[in-house]
Amino acid sequence: MLLEVLNSVFSVQIFLFIILGVFTGICIGSLPGLTATMGVALVLPLTFGMEATPGILLLIGVYVGAIYGGSISAILLRTPGTPAAAATVLDGYEFSKRGESGRAMGISTVSSFLGGVVSVLALWLISPQLAKLALRFSAPEFFLLAVFGLSIIASISGNSLAKGVLCGALGISLSFIGIDGITGYPRFTFNNINLLSGMSFIPVMIGLFAMSQAFSTVENIFTPDQVTQKISKVWPSKKDWKVILKTAPLSGAIGTIIGIVPGAGAEIGAFVSYSQAKRSSRHPELFGTGIPEGIAAPEGGNNGVTGGALIPMLTMGVPGDAVAAILIGALTVQGLQPGPLLFTEHTTLVYSIFLGMFIANVTMLVLGLSSLKLFVKVLSVPKAILTPMIFVLCVVGSYAINTNFFDVGVMLFFGILGYFLQKADVSVSPAVLGLILGPMAESNFRRALLMSEGSYSIFVASPIAWVFVALTLVTLLGPVVTERLKKRKVA
Amino acid sequence: MRKANFIVSGTFTLFAIFIIAISLGYPPSNHGVPGPGMFPIIIASLIILSALTLFIFTLRMPKELDTTIDLKSKNVVNVYITMGGLVLYFVLLPLVGFVVTTSIMLILFIKWFSKRAWWKTILISVLFTVAIYLLFGSVLNVPMNYGLLI
Repeated sequence: MLLEVLNSVFSVQIFLFIILGVFTGICIGSLPGLTATMGVALVLPLTFGMEATPGILLLIGVYVGAIYGGSISAILLRTPGTPAAAATVLDGYEFSKRGESGRAMGISTVSSFLGGVVSVLALWLISPQLAKLALRFSAPEFFLLAVFGLSIIASISGNSLAKGVLCGALGISLSFIGIDGITGYPRFTFNNINLLSGMSFIPVMIGLFAMSQAFSTVENIFTPDQVTQKISKVWPSKKDWKVILKTAPLSGAIGTIIGIVPGAGAEIGAFVSYSQAKRSSRHPELFGTGIPEGIAAPEGGNNGVTGGALIPMLTMGVPGDAVAAILIGALTVQGLQPGPLLFTEHTTLVYSIFLGMFIANVTMLVLGLSSLKLFVKVLSVPKAILTPMIFVLCVVGSYAINTNFFDVGVMLFFGILGYFLQKADVSVSPAVLGLILGPMAESNFRRALLMSEGSYSIFVASPIAWVFVALTLVTLLGPVVTERLKKRKVA
Repeated sequence: MRKANFIVSGTFTLFAIFIIAISLGYPPSNHGVPGPGMFPIIIASLIILSALTLFIFTLRMPKELDTTIDLKSKNVVNVYITMGGLVLYFVLLPLVGFVVTTSIMLILFIKWFSKRAWWKTILISVLFTVAIYLLFGSVLNVPMNYGLLI
């Protein structure tokens, strides 16, 4: 098997796709307004005609590169390129003010690499074990797992639990469209032939993540682009290496754990790692003034999320974050179903993804240290030209999946809807995750009742089921109880 | 934000009622095994419950915590014009063809957004359109020839 994996990954074609992915990802991530999710959604249509391994690795390259790339504008412009780099701004920009942007970017590059490598190792070690455990799941457990995933997504996304649930439920509702998998009855199709096979979720994702983001960019399209400064001395000094080696791997581990939690993305990973580094520091008052720990922690943390988010996605079909949700779409297009069976039926592919992700992190390190000046130049590409080009990519990308203009309309509709939802402070991520977890929840719910001949006791018949029920209750009621206790203490 | 929250909760409630109304017409449960309408009704009920929660929380929200949402400024109107332009592009695309419609759409948007010289705008727009046409049409084998022109 090892030879097959090496054979599958160590080819010129795969290396080129990984390099192309990481390069594109860094460029996309470094541009404020273009997120990692948007980047992966825009590149996704290019993988439709590819084989599974190069296609998935191209997207993983974009993911890894974009999460790192966000730090470039965070450090230089005080504007995070992606939300994942928001915590990097705090200390990163202070370096630039001192004229040490090169040093800051060197710390960011190495820390992102170490965080990413820790997450790949975790992916490598944890996933096969989790997949083995998931093989013991049947319909009731998968239903409860989906409910648990949805409860977490709702509770951590945005500022309001109610809005999170609403958006998640909207996603689930979209999954009802089409022929019912169990009875064959057409639901919510309104005699429209395009709706019979269900809502294709790639146009929905391109609309919600890429098009809506492009609309938001139009709001500030006439604001002049910021000027960037020159950078030098990227390679970290001995003193900085010590800090990086002490901080980044731990932050990577924290990011990985956060990535495993469905719905928690790189932004949360970066902030939690930053506050952990601050708490455990002997000089917490220096955080925010431009110290190496202030960059190493969030950068290690956000790249740590990348591998972590793939763990539940590959082993159970539950996306760890919005990018993992798009990767599920990419696997589905290739005729592959993420879940425990992927590890037994497509072992070579799974381990090729692990190895390819490690190579993507090495590529990111090499490109980051050697070509930073080039990526800084990307920042000067005017958004006035870039944004209309993104419109075209969104349209062509949605059309390409089924060569169908109906999908373009769907993308445009969800782009407009996503823009207004963002205006109303409703996070759109739960909708996409709901669209993926909804069918998993419904089909397993009904299958479980078929198995038990209508008895609901099947949902609490196994210890694993009880664990999921308890986790769901803690997730939904935990924040409410904590809030009540806090209020009581204050009173 | 109060107004937006009321609109969100109202719209979602109407959406949920619509789901329930349609789902009630689907075949019923059979020997305890849910029919195709049961899960949609459960989710629609969840939507109504969440929308109601949002409505009540917003009613109880102190007025000083309220924030305004920009829906009428010049910047937002630019977004509406962009949306309108893209809807028109979507309608014309299958009728006219990819290269012509996309080039014109790009020229108009880039000229409006960047105020660059016409020749530069046309060059960028046509080159990008042709590159995408060749990439998807020739390399990725996506049928890109439709409409009256190309």
